[in-house]
Amino acid sequence: MDKNIIETEITMGTVHSAAIEPYRVRLFVEDEIVKDAEITVGVNHRGVERIMEGLPVEKANSLTEKICGICSGVHLWNSVLVAEKGLEIEIPERASYIRIIVAELERIHSHLLYLAHGNEVLGHETFSMRLFYIRETVMELLRMIGGNRVQYGVPIIGGIRPRAELDEMKIQKINEGLDYLEGKVKEFADRFTSDPMIMSRITGVCPIKREDALRLAVTGPTLRATGVEFDLRREMECYDPFEFDIITQDDGDIKSNLLVRVFEIFESIKIIRQAVENLPEGAIVDRSWEMQDTDIVKSYVEAPRGTLYHSYALEEGRVRNVVIRTPSMSNIGAMQYAVIGHHITDAQLGIVQCDPCFTCTDRAIEIIKI
Amino acid sequence: MGLKSYARARAIHAMLVYTGGCNGCDIEIVNAVFSPKYDAEQYKIFLTWNPREADILIVTGPVTQQNKKPLEEIYKAIPEPKLVIAAGACALMGGVYKNIHGDIPSEEIAGPVEEVIPVDAKVPGCAVRPEDVLAGAVSILPKLLEAK
Amino acid sequence: MLYSILGIIGTIIIGFIVSLWLPGIERKFVHARIQQRIGPPISSPGIMAPIKFFFKESIKPYSPVPRLYNSLPLVGLLSALLILLFIIPETYPIGALASIVAIVGFLKIEEVVYVFMGSLSKSVMSLRMPFPDLAKGAKHPNVQRSFLEDISAMRAFRLIAFGSFPIYIALFIPVIISKSIFLGDIVAYQQVHGPILFSAAGVIAAIVFFIGYMILLNEYPFVILKTKADVIEGPYLEYAAKSRAFVYITRGFLMFTLAALFSVLFLGIPPNIFTWGILVNILVAIIFPLLMASLSAFAPIFTFKQFYPVTLATSILGVVALLAAFI
Repeated sequence: MDKNIIETEITMGTVHSAAIEPYRVRLFVEDEIVKDAEITVGVNHRGVERIMEGLPVEKANSLTEKICGICSGVHLWNSVLVAEKGLEIEIPERASYIRIIVAELERIHSHLLYLAHGNEVLGHETFSMRLFYIRETVMELLRMIGGNRVQYGVPIIGGIRPRAELDEMKIQKINEGLDYLEGKVKEFADRFTSDPMIMSRITGVCPIKREDALRLAVTGPTLRATGVEFDLRREMECYDPFEFDIITQDDGDIKSNLLVRVFEIFESIKIIRQAVENLPEGAIVDRSWEMQDTDIVKSYVEAPRGTLYHSYALEEGRVRNVVIRTPSMSNIGAMQYAVIGHHITDAQLGIVQCDPCFTCTDRAIEIIKI
Repeated sequence: MGLKSYARARAIHAMLVYTGGCNGCDIEIVNAVFSPKYDAEQYKIFLTWNPREADILIVTGPVTQQNKKPLEEIYKAIPEPKLVIAAGACALMGGVYKNIHGDIPSEEIAGPVEEVIPVDAKVPGCAVRPEDVLAGAVSILPKLLEAK
Repeated sequence: MLYSILGIIGTIIIGFIVSLWLPGIERKFVHARIQQRIGPPISSPGIMAPIKFFFKESIKPYSPVPRLYNSLPLVGLLSALLILLFIIPETYPIGALASIVAIVGFLKIEEVVYVFMGSLSKSVMSLRMPFPDLAKGAKHPNVQRSFLEDISAMRAFRLIAFGSFPIYIALFIPVIISKSIFLGDIVAYQQVHGPILFSAAGVIAAIVFFIGYMILLNEYPFVILKTKADVIEGPYLEYAAKSRAFVYITRGFLMFTLAALFSVLFLGIPPNIFTWGILVNILVAIIFPLLMASLSAFAPIFTFKQFYPVTLATSILGVVALLAAFI
């Protein structure tokens, strides 16, 4: 059997109705079944690492927030963690709890956006609209805490911004919002999994096997959907006081990816409830640190899409040698293999199933063979 | 009000082009303005992905070098009368990527949208607020209705 | 003679006016309500949008044969018009063209038009987007590259092959029950024996007709021809100005025409402005899109993996109705 007959090539360009970010996909098909795929990133290259070179460290931190519009909070958090690790600053506990509340709220809204966009590519406009409506609750909570719906800028070096302090009224609003979210997402999940038309579209479609996922360096919920139990939050010190489960599914196809993220929303709600209930008293920022020169410091954090890595060095208060590596960098490459053997319309879903964030990923890459 | 202006005011098709940046504005527009909370369809603005069907072009993001030619081609493909709305700080002035004034400037930005295609309305914000985008779209409608 | 010409023209005008409101009713009262939002005014998608498109600048579409490409929506509109023309009872005496066989032929024109539209359209949103794909190190640089509309044309081809079975089988059940292919005889049979809808074979045939109606109009879930997920708009990508207005008008008109066809074949009430029957036709023409929109709001896009079994099951149902009609 000659697997390599390619009849024609289909390109979906930088602007396309199924893409919310600019990228380029070339699918090599034969009779509408995909035989090979090539995804081009780099359309969105702005040169962030290059612009950050030489900036004062507070300004550089605020620039990392603009790398991505969906996962902006976690980029800022990781960048601040690098500075704090290098300058050996201990932040107050209350600040750490509030940072985790904001990070988990961001995880919820990112997963809801993924589910809504996945439904749109699936063709189900009704569910997509309903999920966008549910997502608005989270955006309003983030606007209440940070001041803006996107790019709320809560962590700063030494703690959190004074504006993001939580008081009685805000805590009550957070609890109400969480109750609403939990009810609505549960209702959606029941309705979604009991629909035979949708289940026949997503079960067994574009799977990626466990060995392939580990070989291609897939991270995050996409890896957990293939059955590997690894969550970087268990290794992070600031998550020690909280109790949550690691969600895994078995098949690595679109259904597993969707279900992993739905259940992760419930885990995030659990973490936020614990944080709000046990919020310690005290200051929220510690400004008694001194600027020194440091070597290159690395920091890893669990972003909504996987493992995020930042590193830089400090010299006279300015940032040097920035390296940022986002989880979508390897996830997107792995999807080129997952779509082989499936129909074009399913392949569109197969590319979206890893929750790609192309704007995070566009960076100059140097490939080193291990 | 003649039939021409009346019909143009009651069915407006808007196309969205994202030319890079952080995509925060893009998500705010597609997923907020055209979703149930801020529903733009009740103001007779429909979303389309085909430049041949569009009246208004909403551009977000600083135009990166690889997105410059696609943006020009899409603009040329829209039939007259057409309007362009530049939404967000990146589209207005290159955003934070062109104006952070570090040691090394970025070479990847082909300038704000004004230097690539002519712009009719400017909506500021980072990320732009959904209410402001609707207000911006409504404010330039008279230009669309009275065009030849 | 003058009386019948007046009847024909009057019915066509009433059909046209009703069909202008149907897309708006579908969008506001069903889709928007289900999606829990307010939705556009009723006149916007059906009436105001085509009028606005008439006032836009007419451009030359990017196509090997631009004039043929621009005239294809008119061919579609004409075939829908011809179907309506030959359902009107004043034309039954003509005989040959007022029969089921002619209606099947006109429906076929409607479907073949998609194949031509798809192969003649070369839009900027598919292959013509300027991007340096074939750089050094690109995969498979020597493969033939096709446009998104070509995929759409291939899918239209497949739909002609198997997608029209349900509606064709449903169209033949009244023929078997009334033992004649001429519309005049079918209507006369129902005036004596009561509507065909009220028999066992008729109910099953009506369900099969409804599913065939959804497939012909390319509504979700049978929308693979022009889905937003991969082919953006499919065959319609290069239409602007007047041609796009005709595309919009054809869709509403086809909704009305097929509902009037249902009412002739299964209820025995042809559209005739000189009787009260026209009101029944208008009622069916409003109910069908509402029903169709409520079903399509809760369905994803079917790929061929689901499309084949659903069409097969519906066709088998149609054959069951056929056998029941013989008894």
